[in-house]
Amino acid sequence: MNDTLDVLLRLVGVLVVFLVFPLLVGQTEHKVMAHMQGRLGPMYAGGFHGWAQLVADGVKFAQKEDVVPAEADRRIFQLAPAIALLPYLVVLIAIPVGPDGFVGQALDAGLFFVLAVMGVGVLGSLIAGWASANKFSLLGGLRTAAQLMAYELPMLLTAASVAMAAGTLSLPGIVESYHWWWTPWQIVGGLVFFTAGLAELQRPPFDMPVADSEIIFGAYTEYTGLRFALFLLAEYAGIVVLCALTTVLFLGGWHGPWSDGLGWLWTLVKTAALAFVVIWLRVSYPRLREDQLQKLAWTVLIPLSLAQIALTGVVKVVIS
Amino acid sequence: MAPIPGAGLAKGLAVTLRTMTKRSVTDQYPDALPELPPRSRGVIALFEENCTVCMLCARECPDWCIYIDSHKETTPAATPGGRERSRNVLDRFAIDFSLCMYCGICIEVCPFDALFWSPEFEYAETDILDLTHERDKLREWMWTVPAPPALDPAAEEPKEIAAARKAAEKAEAARQAAQAAGTDGEAPA
Amino acid sequence: MNHVAAHHPGFLSPTGVEITFVLVGLATLGAALLTVTTRQLVHAALWLVVALGGLAVEYLLLTAEFIAWVQVLIYVGSVVVLLLFGLMLTKAPIGRSPDADSENRWVALGVAAAAAVTLVWVVVDAFRSTWVDLHGVVQGSSHATGESLFRHWVLPFEALSVLLLAALVGAIVLSRRDGESAGAGSTSGTGKEKS
Repeated sequence: MNDTLDVLLRLVGVLVVFLVFPLLVGQTEHKVMAHMQGRLGPMYAGGFHGWAQLVADGVKFAQKEDVVPAEADRRIFQLAPAIALLPYLVVLIAIPVGPDGFVGQALDAGLFFVLAVMGVGVLGSLIAGWASANKFSLLGGLRTAAQLMAYELPMLLTAASVAMAAGTLSLPGIVESYHWWWTPWQIVGGLVFFTAGLAELQRPPFDMPVADSEIIFGAYTEYTGLRFALFLLAEYAGIVVLCALTTVLFLGGWHGPWSDGLGWLWTLVKTAALAFVVIWLRVSYPRLREDQLQKLAWTVLIPLSLAQIALTGVVKVVIS
Repeated sequence: MAPIPGAGLAKGLAVTLRTMTKRSVTDQYPDALPELPPRSRGVIALFEENCTVCMLCARECPDWCIYIDSHKETTPAATPGGRERSRNVLDRFAIDFSLCMYCGICIEVCPFDALFWSPEFEYAETDILDLTHERDKLREWMWTVPAPPALDPAAEEPKEIAAARKAAEKAEAARQAAQAAGTDGEAPA
Repeated sequence: MNHVAAHHPGFLSPTGVEITFVLVGLATLGAALLTVTTRQLVHAALWLVVALGGLAVEYLLLTAEFIAWVQVLIYVGSVVVLLLFGLMLTKAPIGRSPDADSENRWVALGVAAAAAVTLVWVVVDAFRSTWVDLHGVVQGSSHATGESLFRHWVLPFEALSVLLLAALVGAIVLSRRDGESAGAGSTSGTGKEKS
């Protein structure tokens, strides 16, 4: 009975994080992006500096008509947003926040679980692009697939480097065995992981699949109302997951001064700082062209991640 | 200039970060009214006492958006035996601001200073037909017309002030002359 | 792995896990059948996702966690994406494709049945009454898998990796522009071929 309650509480906690954190990131993006462009951003919704803007947006999305194009593959078109969103919810379960079991569910092969399920999320925008019966959507879907295939590899390789260093695939285990000198040791891997993660989430400057000046909104062109909102939510949930994962793998999760009582706070602070960087990059850089995207992945990131694995192996052998 | 790899990327990040720490330039418009420059072209106001219904504005308007109706009235002769005068009386003066392109030609051509630019700009309507404003509304806007900007300190005195002062000086001189004549006449007595 | 005879579980008192296993297996089989029979190309790929996912769940139920996630990562995350990419690139139509029938139904059925019979026979013959103890030590954890892979099976593992490398090199060679023959055809400009 107590076990059931425990599991239930953990799942509710994960659900709350899943519903709240993406909104926080979205609101931060509104404000940070505005101020980086010399604007104020939303100021009215909710009264104080537009804090309820995203709630208002949600209400607006819920009121809109849910249109399915006549030529579209109805069922798959309607299923796609769920496929895009749910993996991120599932992934959140495995990400540790604090020491001593402060995690939705500790998994033995947590690292593999997280990367595998995150890859499934892209399937959502892929089939959304196909099922919309729209050439722009199809192009967006194609670009998504090409981007996923190019960037999945460096992401996996750098994650493997961390797993090698820690000697375990379990996420809490990786954080347990973290030492401060890991960060300089794995810095290249961390940068590659973060960049590849951004590309997998199709965040600017890697937002070729949704490039609005060329293909309207890529795979999401035909979506309206709540289904569109789900795709947006998936993007922001993806940011939360990516930042939390980078924190856990490369920045030592809950390690930090006074980490005995405030470990969870350290994880959150590091995740928030990384989310800020995600927004910052979006504001600062223009979109990469499709060939530049592919070139970056295959000629820069993959060699770098291979070099990181070699370095990890050498150091590991030397210190053991 | 040695190109360090990634220097450009870092520069881009620095620019956005610096902008974020500065005050944003947004005007919170409905809460804080904008500071408009003098001679802002908001709306056209009518000072109908000056209007002689000469119709120059309506004829010069490129959009034909000024509507004027008038009739003639005759005033009786001021002196007995004199001629009766006829005078134009304004019945309607309306500007359709859905057509107006704010060129200001009507204001330029008005020979009697009856039309003015007002900086008032908040007169949006939900129906385009409501954008045709009649003379009462145009008159209300007259009171929002700012005073003309002051002349340059070194500028020549305005003509009307110079003429008025000349007249005042003449009157003063005449009054003094009359007074002098009065005292002269009294003295011998 | 010798949990024999001490308390031999019977077939007639299935546990919850066993029932789930059979149900998921049936769902996987159904999805697989739909994959090969549906007339809609992309739907076939999506049913394949369901079948592969079902297989991953089966692995999980047998406590082979590591294999399950690798299954999801490689097959659902990469192979199916590649498949869908190919389908989209060739403009797979929405709706039925009447010409998506190679008329080899019966041959395919025969091959599939033969393969299934062989596999079932081999597996049954190899394991007979070996039971996976689902409640004891996890036997499919990444630790156990890694240990058996790199201690007992390291030679096949390395041989496989060489095979994959050969396939990779072969793919690169095949996809390269045929620079040599083009260079031989033209009499000048041989220096430009290195691109």
